[in-house]
Amino acid sequence: MIEIRAVSKQFTSGRGHVAALTDISFTVAQGHGVMLAGRSGSGKTTLLNCLGTLELPDSGAILYHGVDLCTLSPRQRTLFRRTKVGFVFQAGNLLPWLSVAENLQFPLELNGIHGQAQQRRIAELLATFDLAGYEKALPVELSGGESQRIAFARAIAHAPSLLLADEPTASLDSANGRQLIELMFSLCRTNGTTLFIATHDQELLAMAEAIIPLKDGKMENNR
Amino acid sequence: MRLAYLVKVAGLILWRSWRATLVLSFMVISAVAALVFLSALAVGTNDAMIRNSTGLFSGHIAASMLGESDIPQLKTAGVERVLIRRHQQVLLEKNGLLEPLVLIGVDPEQEQEGTAFWKKTVAGRYPRAGEATLFLSQATAKRLNLMVGDPVSLADPQGVVRKSLTVAGLYKTGITHLDQGMAFCPTTALPAGETELSAAVFLRDGIPPETVVARYRTTLPAATFAAWPEFMPDLKQLIDLDYICMAIVIALVFAIVSVGISCTFLIFTLKNLREHGIMKAMGLLGGDTALLLVTQIGLLTVVAAAVGTLAGIATVAVFAQIGIDIGAFTSHNQYFSVSGMLYPRLTALAVATPPLVAVVFGLAAAIWPIVYIVRKNPADILRSV
Repeated sequence: MIEIRAVSKQFTSGRGHVAALTDISFTVAQGHGVMLAGRSGSGKTTLLNCLGTLELPDSGAILYHGVDLCTLSPRQRTLFRRTKVGFVFQAGNLLPWLSVAENLQFPLELNGIHGQAQQRRIAELLATFDLAGYEKALPVELSGGESQRIAFARAIAHAPSLLLADEPTASLDSANGRQLIELMFSLCRTNGTTLFIATHDQELLAMAEAIIPLKDGKMENNR
Repeated sequence: MRLAYLVKVAGLILWRSWRATLVLSFMVISAVAALVFLSALAVGTNDAMIRNSTGLFSGHIAASMLGESDIPQLKTAGVERVLIRRHQQVLLEKNGLLEPLVLIGVDPEQEQEGTAFWKKTVAGRYPRAGEATLFLSQATAKRLNLMVGDPVSLADPQGVVRKSLTVAGLYKTGITHLDQGMAFCPTTALPAGETELSAAVFLRDGIPPETVVARYRTTLPAATFAAWPEFMPDLKQLIDLDYICMAIVIALVFAIVSVGISCTFLIFTLKNLREHGIMKAMGLLGGDTALLLVTQIGLLTVVAAAVGTLAGIATVAVFAQIGIDIGAFTSHNQYFSVSGMLYPRLTALAVATPPLVAVVFGLAAAIWPIVYIVRKNPADILRSV
């Protein structure tokens, strides 16, 4: 279970203090999928970053199975991300110097999965995402849809319990986008992974089990 | 994270970003190659100065206070040639003018074969074996109004004329102690009387004179021996100075190159900033990030330094064959009195120092990019790029 309690975060820039998140509170049970909805600048990415311990809120608490992630040391937060969190970024963001198989290998190596177990897992992921034969392809040789599928495969390679996806369909056409989101929901449901997807795509929002609407860093009435 | 995996990723980053890798490598390759060549050139210059200075007359070891029975024992391991010389104090007399000097009896054939002194002839020729002739400096001849072919009397220190010789040739070396106070004749032409025995010992290439001197001092304790650094301390200092200058040049070149590498590597790293942010977001620890960057630049500098060393060795090999003629700039230099040819020579130090320094400076150049990346928050990186 993940519980957000009165989380607020503001940034200081040339425009002065900007409230990115204001008094955000909600609870999501393990294995559920939630969409963070809102326009650009509504605080979706900041909230995902806070959930993924990439940054700390100025106030409030983020409880993951009862542990306040905000109290962890930087090293503990990195190790938390390594073992418990999977990220799907916009436009894939695969490591360009690594082939498809090597990109999938990266989180497995980070989590100490080597040898035959590693090879089995890579083959399993490629088969699941219908990308067998792409092992040696470099990211630059892939289409946008293929890149996002590999990015998703990489994010779940080490079986994280929390998957965070920031506008994962931004670079895809609607058919590919829908397909990817369906796959995400389906696999996360099967594996019991809690899923947060940030999107402003109304069509995708219709697929959501639950939506947390954000506007100017504040929660609107959620569904 | 496993080191082997980090090394693999570092290698893949370099291999698959080959254009950037090539630019970075080129800086290291050219710097190492240039410094291997310069180091070899410094060694070659020192060799030339030693060769010129010892090859003109003195040899690598000067032996004096010798007895006749000592001579065979001088030809030990590492010794290429021993030239025996007999010294006698005489007064040179011509038309009432007197010049005290040391007359040195030599074997003309062996001297011509083993030294370049005869090449310093400015008038006439070098004496031949069996002749009653004299070879004296132009300065002495001028003081006594002597010319080639003139007869000259040799008197003992008491003024008693003992012998008459003919001037066969005049020489000028430009080196004061050779141009003043001595003259040469075939040993057979020496006036009867007491002579002091000395020898010039020439060593094979690469034999340190100090070891041979130490051996001589053990076997011939009554004689006196001096290696060239002892009787030519000025040359020894010049050579030491040359090495110090070379070390300064190497340090300066690599300090400059390392700044260049650091800047280029920072640009290279910044180009991949988003990827570093992604890896950190995925759970790569700061230490692993640092190790990845160190491995990257370590691999790059090691490979580039190896290639640069090979390029430097190849360049040295070419110039060691054809030589570099700097005769036009050394005609008045006593350390190049025989020849102005330089032959670069590789030593273990000349080969090893530039690549080692390159790797050390290359790793130092990685510090700045590492600190920059490690300190950056992954969220800031992902937001900013």
